[in-house]
Amino acid sequence: MLETLPMLQQIPTKTWMPRLSFAPKNTAPRGDTLVVVFLRGAADVLNMVVPHGEDAYYALRPTLGIARPDNGRKMKDERVVNLDGFFGFHPNMSSLLEAWQSGQLAIIHACGAPDESRSHFKAMELMERGVDDERGPASGWIGRHLATLNTGNSSPLRAVGMGTRPQRSLSGSVPVSALRSIADFHLGGDVRALQQMRAALSYVYQNDELGQDTLSIMDTLQKLDPLNYQSPITNYPDTEFGLALKQTAMLIKAEVGLEVSAIDLGGWDTHFTQGSLNGIMPNLMKDLGEGLAAFHADMADHMSKLTTVTMSEFGRRAYENGSLGTDHGHGSMMMVLGGNVDGGKVHGQWPGLEDGQLIGPGDLAVTTDYRDVLSEVLVKRLNNQATSDVFPEYRPVIRNIMK
Amino acid sequence: MTLSRRDFLKLATLLSASAALNACAPALRRLTDDLPAVPWSPLSMADFTALNRITFGARVEERARLAEIGLANYIEEQLDYEAINDLTLDLQLSTFNTLTMSANEIEAVTNQLFDGYDRERPINELRQATFLRQLYSKRQLYEVMVDFWSDHFNIFIEKEPCFYLKTVDDRDVIRKHALGNFRDLVWASAHSPAMLTYLDNQANVKGTPNENYARELMELHTLGVEGGYSQNDVMQLARCLTGWSVKEHFWLGDFVFKQDQHEPGEKNVLGLAIQEAGQSEAEQVIEHLALHPSTAKFISTKLARRFIADEPPQEIIEKAAQTFLATKGDIKSVLRVILLEGLAFVQPKYKRPLNFVLSALRMLNVETDGVAMHDPLMQMGQMYFNWTTPDGYPDTSDAWQGNLMPRWQFAFELIRNELPKTKHNLNALLDVASTGSLHTDVDSLTSLLLGTPLDRLTRDGMIDTVHSAGATEEETLQIIAASLIASPAFQWR
Repeated sequence: MLETLPMLQQIPTKTWMPRLSFAPKNTAPRGDTLVVVFLRGAADVLNMVVPHGEDAYYALRPTLGIARPDNGRKMKDERVVNLDGFFGFHPNMSSLLEAWQSGQLAIIHACGAPDESRSHFKAMELMERGVDDERGPASGWIGRHLATLNTGNSSPLRAVGMGTRPQRSLSGSVPVSALRSIADFHLGGDVRALQQMRAALSYVYQNDELGQDTLSIMDTLQKLDPLNYQSPITNYPDTEFGLALKQTAMLIKAEVGLEVSAIDLGGWDTHFTQGSLNGIMPNLMKDLGEGLAAFHADMADHMSKLTTVTMSEFGRRAYENGSLGTDHGHGSMMMVLGGNVDGGKVHGQWPGLEDGQLIGPGDLAVTTDYRDVLSEVLVKRLNNQATSDVFPEYRPVIRNIMK
Repeated sequence: MTLSRRDFLKLATLLSASAALNACAPALRRLTDDLPAVPWSPLSMADFTALNRITFGARVEERARLAEIGLANYIEEQLDYEAINDLTLDLQLSTFNTLTMSANEIEAVTNQLFDGYDRERPINELRQATFLRQLYSKRQLYEVMVDFWSDHFNIFIEKEPCFYLKTVDDRDVIRKHALGNFRDLVWASAHSPAMLTYLDNQANVKGTPNENYARELMELHTLGVEGGYSQNDVMQLARCLTGWSVKEHFWLGDFVFKQDQHEPGEKNVLGLAIQEAGQSEAEQVIEHLALHPSTAKFISTKLARRFIADEPPQEIIEKAAQTFLATKGDIKSVLRVILLEGLAFVQPKYKRPLNFVLSALRMLNVETDGVAMHDPLMQMGQMYFNWTTPDGYPDTSDAWQGNLMPRWQFAFELIRNELPKTKHNLNALLDVASTGSLHTDVDSLTSLLLGTPLDRLTRDGMIDTVHSAGATEEETLQIIAASLIASPAFQWR
């Protein structure tokens, strides 16, 4: 006959959840809010921040290359926007020029991970876990950061993954919630029905951290009146990415305890007709540039307590393929936007694009490990000294990207 | 009941014209809506869990069937899927014309009026058909495998021109070989116009090859990322695949090999010297990849992960991989190992959104045309053929936890009958067993949804909680039904 279950709550809950338990080792006051933007699909960083001072770039990319800033045969908006005489923005990223000129945007070129598999899925996983190979903790680097640092903040919105699923980088022992749209975060029904539903949910989730967390977020967000939120900045792109940034801004301003927001901007896997000035890749750059610029403007009064980092799993092949796209490469690039970066500067050692300088099948070499950049943000801006817990078996080199 | 009155009349006409009435008996039984006398057969938790892996959710009649013939026989019955009568469903799908069309015909449909409806029609029909099949087909294991391979050979339907090519891929690649032979499956996928355009191989031409498809063919479709290939193998396979493309003019959308775009010369992939031989160069590599020991291991691991546990036991993977090699990729034989021997090692898995929605609908015997599920599934992050990258929707529990809100919203909307053209009849379902007491009704509901009733304390606490929030007796049952679907227990299969 029927076996009875001991307790509803004892049907698999957190014992089945692959969460790694860390007791917070350190106590420190809250630092900056960290926004991590992951460009999924391997962004073509050579066309985002173009090494226009390098002849090899133009030889390798006869079709995709973006004209030098001083190329008189091209219209102004078809040329690289010069940054420092050697590097320059793709014209679709020119909206970031203001942040650059104000010294709040730093670029770290030829930056990335040692993994050379050129597999999106493997590279992303390793990077989000902050490890070099399959060994090492299954949790994510942001999850471990949150788990090893006690900031006295118990907000259910301490870490939020924008989208339908929380990013791998967030997994760890601290509850994290995925948030697609703040406005969607309610149960519906009239007040009476709502009370009944909330009571029932609270009962069935009484021993489940994630459920309790979701209920708290629901309550917190209900008070925020999200439908009536007006941003003073109206030029956020009308995209998922723009919405995610706007909602991040809203949560920061509402002071709900947000410490980390993870945002994805996908679609960078452009093997076929990626486009130089128009097309898939340039459209993504526009979304990225305009989104970050709007966020920067919207958060002007909060910049001293805000750091935004962009990253991608790897870069693309230096030479274009026969179908006007680029195949998987290696070296990538990061951008750091914030009130305390050593900005207006391209950091990192440029390895060059000449034959003997490229690695593997023709890829930009990595001269700065991505963990150097993240570690510096952790130590200097988030008050977390325990980088060896966040990036096990890695010894970061501090590159003075942050003040 | 899944059919409208019109469908019923259609079926009745067809049945009366049929000499083989007996063969159609299961369909008739469903039409007359007679649930088994015992509303939901008592199953051990092990069998209940197994049934929820083999199907998209234990329907009442499937519980009865499993209780009747036992798990091993049930698995065999499901593996022999062609012998299972699915007439009711076939009739329901017969109005979806694009499902049976050639690529060229489907393209013509999308171009008729240049308006949004026609552009979306093949996508909508394919999505709705997939949903109805998963919800109502009696060939549940077959449909579970179709879902598995659709992830394994993922194609993002919104990428041009996949919006009209995927229908053909679904029919001629995935559904045709889902319980057939893996070599045939990967062969068909490699010649599939939808796959070739999704992974840019239609643009892979001599000179500077496009590596995209070549890489994913090895990394995701056969060997796996640790399967022992190098960057050079990717480039060499890409050279073999130059000229594999899709017709662009007459009979648009068919596979074509463009000899003039094929890279000349010898190639070397995974130590195999491939002589210059046009289209058959890549075909030789595919033969090699399909039955490679790394492929056997990779496919067995993924299957074990789907059916058994996120971290499946190594010995089952090994045995399944050996069977894969011994039978030269016979999918049924591999599945037999995984199900008959592996299900004993089953671990809870967090339901993916589709599985969550389907199991609720199936267990509560809900009537729907499926259209209303579009928005909730988008919000939960698993709309059919909508995963952009070629790795397919993730299959581990941790990937799906953390976004409970849309699941809760769905549960309450479903029970309040607020989803358009979607109706459950909780009372009719409970009437079969009801003694009129709320407590026994809650017990019935719980054993229906979770496989077994709650212990008395938990159940009574739940009823009290909802009561004290001001719910009437009738509201209480509704709220509890929704909360059970929203509960942590129901999120796990």
